[in-house]
Amino acid sequence: MAGRNRSTLRTVRVYGVLLALLGIMMFPFYVMLTSTLKPENELFSSPVTLVPSELTIEAFLSVWGQTDVLLWVANSFLISLGTVVLTLVLAIPAAYSCARNDFVGKRSFLLSVLVVQMFAPVVLIVGLFDVITQAGLFNTYLAVIIPAAAFTLPFNIWMLYGYFKTIPVSLEESARIDGASQLQILTKIVLPLTKPALVASITYTFLYAWNRLLFVLTFLTDSAKYNVPRGVFSMVGALQTDWQMMLTVSVIGIVPLLILFAFLEEYIVSGLTAGAVKE
Amino acid sequence: MGTVERDTDRPTRIWRGATHLYHNRWAYLLIAPAVVFLVSVVGYPIVETFRLSLYQSPADSPIETYVGLAHYAAILDSDVFYQLLWQTGRWVVLGVAGKTLLGLLIAVHLKGDIRGRKFFRTAFLIPWGIPYAISAVVFRWIEHPQYGALNAILMKLGVIDQGIGILGNPETAWIGVVVADIWIGTPFMAIILLAGLQSIPEELYEAASIDGARRWEQFRYITLPQLKSVIFIATLLSTIWTFVSFDVIWTMTRGGPINTTSTLVIQIYQVGLENGDLGRGAAYSVIGFLFLLVFAVSYLRVYTRGGDEL
Repeated sequence: MAGRNRSTLRTVRVYGVLLALLGIMMFPFYVMLTSTLKPENELFSSPVTLVPSELTIEAFLSVWGQTDVLLWVANSFLISLGTVVLTLVLAIPAAYSCARNDFVGKRSFLLSVLVVQMFAPVVLIVGLFDVITQAGLFNTYLAVIIPAAAFTLPFNIWMLYGYFKTIPVSLEESARIDGASQLQILTKIVLPLTKPALVASITYTFLYAWNRLLFVLTFLTDSAKYNVPRGVFSMVGALQTDWQMMLTVSVIGIVPLLILFAFLEEYIVSGLTAGAVKE
Repeated sequence: MGTVERDTDRPTRIWRGATHLYHNRWAYLLIAPAVVFLVSVVGYPIVETFRLSLYQSPADSPIETYVGLAHYAAILDSDVFYQLLWQTGRWVVLGVAGKTLLGLLIAVHLKGDIRGRKFFRTAFLIPWGIPYAISAVVFRWIEHPQYGALNAILMKLGVIDQGIGILGNPETAWIGVVVADIWIGTPFMAIILLAGLQSIPEELYEAASIDGARRWEQFRYITLPQLKSVIFIATLLSTIWTFVSFDVIWTMTRGGPINTTSTLVIQIYQVGLENGDLGRGAAYSVIGFLFLLVFAVSYLRVYTRGGDEL
């Protein structure tokens, strides 16, 4: 009886701590959302109200006309999809080759790829700027997609390589005996079996490209090509900032990500932990 | 004797190499696109950075003047550089410490038989997955001197009696940015540490509780030692990411006021791209490479320890 009380007490304590931590971590979202739902004059009144006195969706109605949020979201999609495609086109053959063959230079290749993962783009930005300009890519979507793909490629190669290795070669051999071509074997047999790793890779790449400000800030000056982070950044004024519009754009800009999270959380976590925790 | 051996050996070795290449031609062909791509998008810019660092090279002019190591000498001779080192160190150490402690706290409480763990895990993960620029503007708003929620709370708690502008004050601005960065980086820590905790065999705890070990003792003598390698890798990765963190600082303060929130990587951007001094910016980048090299070598050493098969 006493033991049971103690364990109930502990459960209560664990939930208490979890909810408190959740409250802290969710607080910025709460402020963001309530600030978009307050009447604008309440946003700039003293004392600051933590709980809105009334709720209105006015900001969400006017944001479409007052800002280019739709364009930014569309550009984010374009950049993310482009990065995903380019990364996969390069990563799948490389990972498959390493998983199925033993060749001189494989180890160095895989280790150098790991080093690239560590080479953060910002440290390379001056050199990249020079290269992108020389290649005549400045102000094109490719100027953002190419560097983003380079820095998501390592994760993709390692993720897929690790997974390809677990698929038995015998499956492929029997398909070959049945007369399947190498390409058919890859697309019909290997890739379907690799789904969990593919989903993790795609999600990671998609998020990476969606979220980054640096490349767009540096390589795109044409505001018609801005993505969501760059759009939000452009709304931060030196003297005047339209806070409510900016926060409304922010809310809209993360909705697609929240949907992604709700459905693919399992894969995101498996991708995140792949490098650090050895099973 | 030696020369004779080498003479007969050399063609054989070349022959062997050629047959190896031939037998594995498909393998090489399949990795070739990735290799070419990485060499041109990462390798070449690295070389280009080293080269540029030896030139006076304004971004808006094609004329480059060779200056040798003058940029490095000027950097090492400037007070700004040492101020940046100190600020970068403070940024990384406090940021990583905050993320690790908060992440550990979350992970430890999520580990047991928790109802709705998936919900909690997803919710805790969200700050990691949204654009840093968005998190940065939200924190700017929270820390707003007149209308920020933080001031409202601090005033209600009686800590302050009038609004303070954290980000506008050179003494406190860095705290305002570090807090945002900790918020962003905590989820990664929590998720990694949770996975690490879940890989600790339950029997260890059972045996310990039969022996009468208290929960704190279990944490100290089972959890921490078992978690050591995961904590090491996670903090190392977090150190790298915090060191190179750009979007948050740039969106919140652009390194200001009077450079107090700047770090080495902010300086790279400011000097190289904002001021258009590619040469000097490249020299700062090379210094940044050196730091990353140290991190990368330690990571590779841990990753490949014990001759793990790749």
